[in-house]
Amino acid sequence: MAMRTRLTWLQEKCLQNYFGEKRFCLLYKASVQKFCKQDLFWKCWDNGPTMVVLYSENCVVGAYLQEGFQKREMSITLFALQETEVSACLIGPYLPALLFYDRQAFDCIPCFYIVLDEKNVTISSEICEKLGLPPECSPMDILDCETFRCEEFLDEKKRRDIAVIQNNLLQTLRTYKPYGDLVPQARILLLGPTGAGKSSFVNSVKSVFRGSITHQALVGCDVNGVSDKFRTYPVTYGSDGFPLPFVLCDSMGLSQKAGLHVDDIDFILKGHIPDRYQFNSMKPITSNHPNYIHDSLLKDKIHCVVFVFDINSVEQLSYGLVTKIKRIRRTLIRCGVLHVALLTHADSLDLITKGDLIDIYSCKPLKLKLEAVHRDFGFAFSDILVVSNYVSEWHLDPVKDRLILLALRQILNTANDFLEDLPLDNQVSERTYSQVLRKNKKQENSSYSNN
Amino acid sequence: MEVTTRLTWIQERVLGKLLGNTSLTLLYKSGAHGLHALDMIQRCSHQGSTMTVFHLKQDVVGIFMLEHFPVLHSKKPSTCVLFAFKENTSTGTSALFLNAQVEINTTELKFFSSDDMWLTVNLKKNKLHLSGEVIKELELNLKCFSEYLECEIFRVDGVKNDPGFIKKMLTAKQHRRRFLSALRAYRPSGDLVSEVRILLVGPVGSGKSSFFNSVKSAFYGHFTRQAVMGSDETSITKQYRTYSVKNGEGGKTLPFILCDSMGLDEREEAGLCLDDILHILKGFVPDRYQFDPCKPIKPRHLAYNTSPPLKDRIHCVAYVLNINSVNSLSDKMVAKLKRIQRDVIDCGIGQVVLLTNVDNCDEVLDDNFTNMTESTTSQSQVKKVQNMLTIPVSNILMVSNYTSEQSMHPIRDILIFAALRQMLRAADDSLEDLPLENRQDQLMAPSAASHASKK
Repeated sequence: MAMRTRLTWLQEKCLQNYFGEKRFCLLYKASVQKFCKQDLFWKCWDNGPTMVVLYSENCVVGAYLQEGFQKREMSITLFALQETEVSACLIGPYLPALLFYDRQAFDCIPCFYIVLDEKNVTISSEICEKLGLPPECSPMDILDCETFRCEEFLDEKKRRDIAVIQNNLLQTLRTYKPYGDLVPQARILLLGPTGAGKSSFVNSVKSVFRGSITHQALVGCDVNGVSDKFRTYPVTYGSDGFPLPFVLCDSMGLSQKAGLHVDDIDFILKGHIPDRYQFNSMKPITSNHPNYIHDSLLKDKIHCVVFVFDINSVEQLSYGLVTKIKRIRRTLIRCGVLHVALLTHADSLDLITKGDLIDIYSCKPLKLKLEAVHRDFGFAFSDILVVSNYVSEWHLDPVKDRLILLALRQILNTANDFLEDLPLDNQVSERTYSQVLRKNKKQENSSYSNN
Repeated sequence: MEVTTRLTWIQERVLGKLLGNTSLTLLYKSGAHGLHALDMIQRCSHQGSTMTVFHLKQDVVGIFMLEHFPVLHSKKPSTCVLFAFKENTSTGTSALFLNAQVEINTTELKFFSSDDMWLTVNLKKNKLHLSGEVIKELELNLKCFSEYLECEIFRVDGVKNDPGFIKKMLTAKQHRRRFLSALRAYRPSGDLVSEVRILLVGPVGSGKSSFFNSVKSAFYGHFTRQAVMGSDETSITKQYRTYSVKNGEGGKTLPFILCDSMGLDEREEAGLCLDDILHILKGFVPDRYQFDPCKPIKPRHLAYNTSPPLKDRIHCVAYVLNINSVNSLSDKMVAKLKRIQRDVIDCGIGQVVLLTNVDNCDEVLDDNFTNMTESTTSQSQVKKVQNMLTIPVSNILMVSNYTSEQSMHPIRDILIFAALRQMLRAADDSLEDLPLENRQDQLMAPSAASHASKK
């Protein structure tokens, strides 16, 4: 039989969150080892914060020892878990070993004691009441007993380790180059409902590369959206501002009735819309506009589109807006523009905590969201990315940085896939054009130095 | 002392992935729990497979034991894997598979066989001894006798209780390299064409575009999405696309082309037109041709009654089916596939079936990654496909397309490479099977033709 806990993902999460974001490491399982308290003690003594969980037919009860199994008296938190409700009460101080009835000394904790070899636990009526258990439940037959060491989810050491990984990722992304040098910068367009987090994502990416929090793109909570212009934001590395070869293009939010005009999207994709163009929900841009970019080149076009959604509201978007987004997606596919979806506010999902961001794709609530987004919009699972934007923080956090960089890496790789997929003659002509541009720039620079 | 491991987060993850999709749970830490053999045994016995890790001054060395941790004064055999983190990287590991005898007494923990004393640990003095062979195999820069700072023992959850499987996981990377070199060295049979064309055809959503992306990802070493994927009311792929694959990012183009088509739809006037398929097979359809579900292409060449050259024709067809829907294919879809097959056979083109969304990648191939296992080939879906399309079992291939960067794994790569290899072999078979006169025509390259005319 395997050493696997009986707790469901949900039950484990409820207990984890109740006891302060702890990770549970299974040390002892009666049904696999032996229903013998000596075995339990051998495996669990001196392990720091420890939790004993007892499974009966109808509910889960247990004891949480903040100081673990040691030879001294301490407070013990007894708890009961029914569905997703945790009720607890503090008793003590007692010797933790006396949670288990001691036959030699005829000793135990009077209000709560486990007789492991007889597979039952006795709970006093006072404790039953405090835990919300029916008084007739005691003595309770137990099917299994598990003991866990409780570790900090996100301790200093883990934070340091993640910081190392985040830094490696950052350095790798600094070396990014658009495929075949076809364009000087990859242009990434952010589209999505109002308030989804597009401008926040721009700020978050810029912050991670700069090394400090920045709020260049305006964000806010206006129901009509805050962004109303087309903005291209370059991303620079470090405080010296070394420019990186990609830009993020922020747009007006999509909404059912107002928001970004669908025809404007076509103009953006083709590279006709200038930086700081003021969108008009009623009228798309026309070629008469003074700053309209005629004869746009590949370097002006969009190389990858990111559909940004707030993870909390993505399933509640109006039918009209969902249809609009699906139509936009079909247009992109027809024009050969590659795209991905980005879900923001990942850590605000019910039951998800900051520590979960480390392994977010294995969390059940997130898997359910991915299924919903796949079902409602048709994005492939591989094309749905997840982040948590910087909103109110003063300092960067390696855990958030890592997710942001992982998403950005996927986005930049997709831009390269797009460039690589261009018909070869387009690629050749673009490359020649870029080379000519570079040669001209060199000549310009040398003529400056000559003067 | 806090009971947390000295391993970094990445090292823990790497060790977890060493033998499959496993995870580690710390059971014993010498600094917190004491140096006695009993301390170890009490905590680690009856837990299942374990990994004992020794933190040396600059290296990390450890041993995995498939069997339960030994009890005091007992000797037992166990499948073991000795491993070490390669110097200066936290992600590279070297590993050595052993069938060892394990023994623990009050002073020592030993792993040995009749030939060698692989690893001997002096528990009281925090010293360990590695045999010269181990040091050589693991490429360690250590003396035989080394002091260690701490010993940690983890339970390994999720590992398969099968020594052959353990060995398989350890050799996966090597075998992947073998497949990769073979593919890189491939040349179409008799150099009749410079690139072999493989057509992917199948129901909407079966994984054709995803397969091309997975092939490219396997060669590039990271997840790519050049072909658009996803789902919609109709096929996402609406154009005929011929994709070349490069030998890695910035590498040479390989001599095969994967041709992606619109999905087959059960409904009338939807999905790929069956007449279009014949035109594709014969080579009339150009790259980026936009399919019309209601109207097949009007090929220009047809009017001239000549057929496109061999290099433009399809040399192998892969019927791509989602393994989870094989047993519930509708009669209409089966009829479509059979009709396509008739055209394929008439044109003498090679055929394979590609089953996607396979769950247990680790078990599809045998321990040496040479052939498919008996349990794989006896699956109901394989039998159903055999009956439906009479294709030899060796050409019914299984893959698991990549669904994210996180899902990249050497064994998935191997399945993808193996499928590609079978497709190339089927293509070669069809090229070799061409009537001799047809072959001669193709070999008459312009220079040869002009040479012949000069005579």
